[in-house]
Amino acid sequence: MKSPITFQVAKNGIVLSLDADAKFNNIKEALKDHVDTATNFYAGSDLYINIANSSFKIDQLNEIVNIARGYKDVNNIIFTSDVVEENIIEVIDEGENNLIKRTLRSGQKIKKSGNVIIIGDINPGAEVVAGGDIIVFGKIRGVVHAGAGGSSEASVIALKLEPTQLRISKKIARPPEEDSNIKRLNPERAFIQDGKIVVEDFEI
Amino acid sequence: MAGKSLVITSGKGGVGKTTTVANIGTALAMMQHKVCLIDADIGLRNLDVIMGLENRIVYDIVDVVEENCRLEQALIRDKRHKNLFLLPAAQTRDKTAVQPKQMENLVKDLKKEVDYIIIDSPAGIEQGFKNAIAGADFALIVTTPEVSAVRDADRIIGLLEAEGIKDPEVIINRINPDMVKRGDMMTIEDIIEILAVKLKGIVPEDDIIIVSSNRGEPVVLKDNPKAGRAFKNIARRITGEEVNFISLEDSSFFSKIKKIFNFS
Repeated sequence: MKSPITFQVAKNGIVLSLDADAKFNNIKEALKDHVDTATNFYAGSDLYINIANSSFKIDQLNEIVNIARGYKDVNNIIFTSDVVEENIIEVIDEGENNLIKRTLRSGQKIKKSGNVIIIGDINPGAEVVAGGDIIVFGKIRGVVHAGAGGSSEASVIALKLEPTQLRISKKIARPPEEDSNIKRLNPERAFIQDGKIVVEDFEI
Repeated sequence: MAGKSLVITSGKGGVGKTTTVANIGTALAMMQHKVCLIDADIGLRNLDVIMGLENRIVYDIVDVVEENCRLEQALIRDKRHKNLFLLPAAQTRDKTAVQPKQMENLVKDLKKEVDYIIIDSPAGIEQGFKNAIAGADFALIVTTPEVSAVRDADRIIGLLEAEGIKDPEVIINRINPDMVKRGDMMTIEDIIEILAVKLKGIVPEDDIIIVSSNRGEPVVLKDNPKAGRAFKNIARRITGEEVNFISLEDSSFFSKIKKIFNFS
């Protein structure tokens, strides 16, 4: 079933679009679920609620805003009826590859609309958001988000995949709680299969 | 010859920055270098207490930058070493009382007078930190074998690099060899692997530090075999000497460190 809510990356934030044809209860449930599972989704950015082509009662809008307040550290909640295209970063641009030749340390963040290739590590506390793929010739220990514009074809590849959190498109995965004791490098690839993030050994 | 300036910083509080400054400074003075310690933790000054010089403060760093006194008037001579000085922080003001540019000029002036200037940075990454690093040529980062401290150290290294202070080095404080041996504590190897910077020293956990801090007598003054010796070694390394890392009782642990860092 198609989700009654969708997300798109815009220049100043993320646009939440509500499906005009869906039942209001379904929209509410889907949004509640998302708030619960992805509390930090909007941390540090603006949340645009796209109400174009739909008609909601003022009470319903209130309810939606109240649910959306559950996201942590949102800058602003803004209603928009703009057709989103204008705001959206071209999310997959095959030609755009961003090469970064250094280790990203805690507190450093890279946000690119294309693919991101890093020669170095992503340390805990660092964050990489890419519209396309993320490829790391090093260890991933921070937060990575590939296919941030909604592309579920995107993948994450690293010589060692130990992220704090891994997101592809709208899916979020956490690594298992127990410590991995494997010290050696072990190239892995994460991608979406049957609606779930899966990780498998990356064979060249 | 112009002196060298060195900032001791950490991001996280309570990892032992001030203790490190007091001990390294005292150790350098014991090696006959002329040293000045600057307490950049305005509003929460501690270095004077740990040095046992609290009751000698008349002027402080804010008086100097506001030109209420001359620099020489604010410098407090250590009671044990005549070649060791302290420029205390103000206790009744806050971090905004000094600007990075003023700090830079202050350190520049001091460099003409002393061999080493050691700046004690406050915790955090805000203005106090920016002031503390403004005049520094080099940085030493103090961390403890805890995930949170290492995380903050990593953040600080990134910020230092952005400010143009290249190749900071790390001091791992309060390591407990027994806990490392049992696998209950982050190892030096784990920490260096994440931070990817050069190791400047390892200081074992030592109860004597608390006693010496309370008495205002840096531990290097006594012939202390654990923390005291570790701080003396760090001071020797700062002067360019090659000093092996001390054994933390367990010989296999020591050989492991030697293996990682290729010390013979």
